[in-house]
Amino acid sequence: MIRRRFPWLSYLLVVTGAVLTVVPFADMLMTSFKGPDEAGTLPYRFLPRAFDLSNYRAAIHQLDLPVLFRNSVVATATITGSVLLTSSLAGYALAKLRFPGRDFVFRLVLSTMMFPPFLFFIPHFLILVHWPLAGGNDLLGRGGAGLTVSIVALAMPFLVSSFGIFLTRQFMVSIPDEVLEAARMDGAGEFTVWWRIVVPQTKPVLVTLGLLTFVDAWNEYIWALLVSTANPDVMTLPVGIQFLQDYVDPTRTLPIVMAGLVLSVLPVLVLFLLLQKYYIRGVMLSGLK
Amino acid sequence: MVNATLAPESTERAARDRSAGLGVRVRARRRRRQAVVAYLFLAPTLLFYAVFLALPLGFAVLLSTSRWAGFDLGDIDPVGLDNFAGLFADGSTFLAPILTNTLLFALGTVALALAGSVLVATCIDRLRFQGLWRTLYFLPIVTTVVAVGNVWKYMYQPGGLVNGVLNAVGLGSVAFLQDPDTALPSVVVVQAWASVGSAILVLTAGLKSVPESYYEAAALDGAGPVTVFWRITLPLLRPSLLFVCVTQFLTGLQSFALIIVMTKGGPGDATDVAALEMYRQAFSYGDWGTASAAAFVLFAVVLAVTLVQLWLFRRKGEDA
Amino acid sequence: MTPSLSRRHFALALPSALLAAGCAAPHQGTGRPGDPVVLTLLSHYASGELKKALQGPVDEWNALHDRVKVRTKAVEFTDLLTTFMVRQAAGQGTDILHPYCLWNGQLVRAGVLRPAPPEHAEEIGRAYGAAAVGSSSVGGRVYGYPTEMQTYALYYNKRLLRAAGLDGPPRTWPELEEAAYRTARQDRYGNTLVQGFGLSTFDDSTTVGQTLALLNAAGGRFVSADGRSTAIDSPAGRAVFDLERRLVDRGASAPGVNVYQAFASGQVAMVISAGWWTTNLKALMGTAYREVGVAPVPLPEADGRRATLSTGFMLGVNTASEHPCEAWEFLRWLNADKVRGTTRMSALQASVGSLTGRADDMRRLLGTGGDPNLHPFLDALAYAVPEPNVPGAQQAKSLLRKNIEALWTGQQTVDEALRSTRRQVDQEVSRSW
Repeated sequence: MIRRRFPWLSYLLVVTGAVLTVVPFADMLMTSFKGPDEAGTLPYRFLPRAFDLSNYRAAIHQLDLPVLFRNSVVATATITGSVLLTSSLAGYALAKLRFPGRDFVFRLVLSTMMFPPFLFFIPHFLILVHWPLAGGNDLLGRGGAGLTVSIVALAMPFLVSSFGIFLTRQFMVSIPDEVLEAARMDGAGEFTVWWRIVVPQTKPVLVTLGLLTFVDAWNEYIWALLVSTANPDVMTLPVGIQFLQDYVDPTRTLPIVMAGLVLSVLPVLVLFLLLQKYYIRGVMLSGLK
Repeated sequence: MVNATLAPESTERAARDRSAGLGVRVRARRRRRQAVVAYLFLAPTLLFYAVFLALPLGFAVLLSTSRWAGFDLGDIDPVGLDNFAGLFADGSTFLAPILTNTLLFALGTVALALAGSVLVATCIDRLRFQGLWRTLYFLPIVTTVVAVGNVWKYMYQPGGLVNGVLNAVGLGSVAFLQDPDTALPSVVVVQAWASVGSAILVLTAGLKSVPESYYEAAALDGAGPVTVFWRITLPLLRPSLLFVCVTQFLTGLQSFALIIVMTKGGPGDATDVAALEMYRQAFSYGDWGTASAAAFVLFAVVLAVTLVQLWLFRRKGEDA
Repeated sequence: MTPSLSRRHFALALPSALLAAGCAAPHQGTGRPGDPVVLTLLSHYASGELKKALQGPVDEWNALHDRVKVRTKAVEFTDLLTTFMVRQAAGQGTDILHPYCLWNGQLVRAGVLRPAPPEHAEEIGRAYGAAAVGSSSVGGRVYGYPTEMQTYALYYNKRLLRAAGLDGPPRTWPELEEAAYRTARQDRYGNTLVQGFGLSTFDDSTTVGQTLALLNAAGGRFVSADGRSTAIDSPAGRAVFDLERRLVDRGASAPGVNVYQAFASGQVAMVISAGWWTTNLKALMGTAYREVGVAPVPLPEADGRRATLSTGFMLGVNTASEHPCEAWEFLRWLNADKVRGTTRMSALQASVGSLTGRADDMRRLLGTGGDPNLHPFLDALAYAVPEPNVPGAQQAKSLLRKNIEALWTGQQTVDEALRSTRRQVDQEVSRSW
């Protein structure tokens, strides 16, 4: 065994790898304090001359950070809430209710995971644009801007997660039927059974699913870029920072961009560090990451 | 997946046994009511599938076989397979370099991430501070691609960290993202860097399931560490490896967010990939037909690559 | 032309004829009496001087007019085409657009741009130079008021040329090469300290612009007159590719470096670029700007005919606009009405170091003092060749860019680059629509 005979070699490898992983983050942090003439010039220096917060002020000022933050939070919360709700409902139906077509629906859920998201990218956009009776559209979805005028456009294509349904269903299968039966005998409706018994019992998996969904939604870039191009009012944090490079003088932007990036990754990093147990379990379960 | 599809039947059977004692009418009424409730619970999901899955799929098929340069739905002109023919016509850049870039990008990412994660995962097992290492390796995964891309883009600059290190050890500077020969590998490194954490996690879990007795038996036989690694560790890791391979390939073949952020496909078309080309054809050039056709071609490639991997791993399994 | 295009033209012909006659009819705006009509205008004048320069006349209009207000929106140039297309697709296109003329073919084909009403088209044909009118027209029809015109010329650093023992800028290609080799310097790691001749890989426009300026100077063309094929695989095209390749091979050019930063910090001796850059350089370089000189693009031989590339923007009106009459009225006020002898647009462009296609305005504005470096760009208005604007022109430009970058980095030989540019561009522009 390598690790038995050469423990120092194992340590060396793991530590080197960890350093390589962390260095870009450190560089981002250091650059965010640098002055305009310190970044991107030769020779390279890791540490800034002074830990000056002016880039952070510039980033907040240039970015209109409160609006970007609000958009990101609203979109992320909508997606996460919806995924949790729909996954838990559908997962319960598939795991614990008997009805004709159950196997078909379950296979359908599994097979939807086969389609890569880019295939739906263009039609999703056009469907939102031509959403009937929204944003000035008529009944046939013509004449207006559709749902692209609204912040819900950011969340729409992500409201249901097939993986989420699959994950919750697998957990709910292991809930003993006797418990549910007993509740039904007491006259509880299926909705009560779901809310009072199933949801509390599957809390750990819901936390995991919620965290995975939150991180994905917060970091989502391509769809948000497209929707923000159509309607800058709903721009999210990652998109705003990418655009920031254009608005400020390119020769001066780098440290400001880095400051904006630090601010944007902070919420997710904190959440991850607090709840990493759940997150890591989610990745092990999913492998979709 | 296999277990999952079997599970519903067993629970169903259990439920049937239990309810056998109830009266026929009561049972039928309850079953009807349960079916209604079940479909109520499934309604949001099924509605979503109809609007955001079935409808778009049909729309994508329509667009890929149409010429539509405008914005009025009434102007969609069916043209059969012209868009697909155009993608593969002489002088088209779709096949080479765009599709080859896509494959190289995915292949490079998988190879690097796999090598790195196998190495780290075998070393990290039973090391001290495992939680700390795992957390550190995981940071890139929870970081937005905009941050990852921009930080690396800056590090690759002539005045950035990587060239700073190269110069410090007396090596010449490399124009990583500006030189077409190094641009694609440079982006691959970043994608691998960003995805190695989850691979390590999956492989670590796989390693933990290898029984210690196997190693003890090997040690008794006097097998060296290399032999143990090749003969015991790797074969037993096969399911985890397959999993890492398939998922990383899937991600690699369709990801272009990192490329938009770092190179926008350049220099030239050195880092242009199929999904980016689709995005541009649709949203910059308004050529929805070509874009949708490109999406289907990429979908075919994704399917083919996945099936080939499943087949390869199964073959190896039969040999062993 | 294909059925869909002509059908759209037919569909547009009727309303635009009605509009031409009925523009006097007052529009109701939002429907509520008293609410002004708000016209939106999307341009790439997103930051700094340009943003302020455009906002000036817009504020003036808004102060003078109660019934029609104009609101500006801006994105960076690299996002402009995508923004036009995505907003149009989303039914959120602005009333007035400020497209790069290269895209006019595509925007007309997609039904974004509205043809200019006859009286505006006449005014445009009368007042602007041929290159400006040409780039604002598609299929012989005028679609907007030409605004910013850019011509290409040679920027040089006087100090670097002097240090290399050269008295003035090169006039011919052999002199250009000579000057490039004598000014280039590298450090021991191979980092380029000074480039003799900068080849920009910054974006499509700067990368392709310098190559097309040299191509035009050599008497060549990028796209044939009918717009259906490329003309780059010619002796002139070969000469340009040969020249650029030699400059890279012999270390006088380092295409990876950001020329726009490097020239400003005195690390590039010569570069071909457009007139807008003078303003940026002044801001970046401060007093060091006095070392910057501008000369016409060198010709292959001393006795050749002068030519260079011109590119431009125009202001047009969206087919989806509900207030086209008001929009055209605003455009006339901005681009044709004269204040103190020149149009507001000409004054705006001159204030940021750019030109319009109105040569008389420009002579008037630049004649009185101003930056002498702008005069070569003004002179070039008379002989510049407009960039082609056929549908697919943007893709053709991107393809050319990819091929010349592959040429510069040694991935393609000159022969391969010429051949693959021709094959790829032909496949793109020859597609029937």
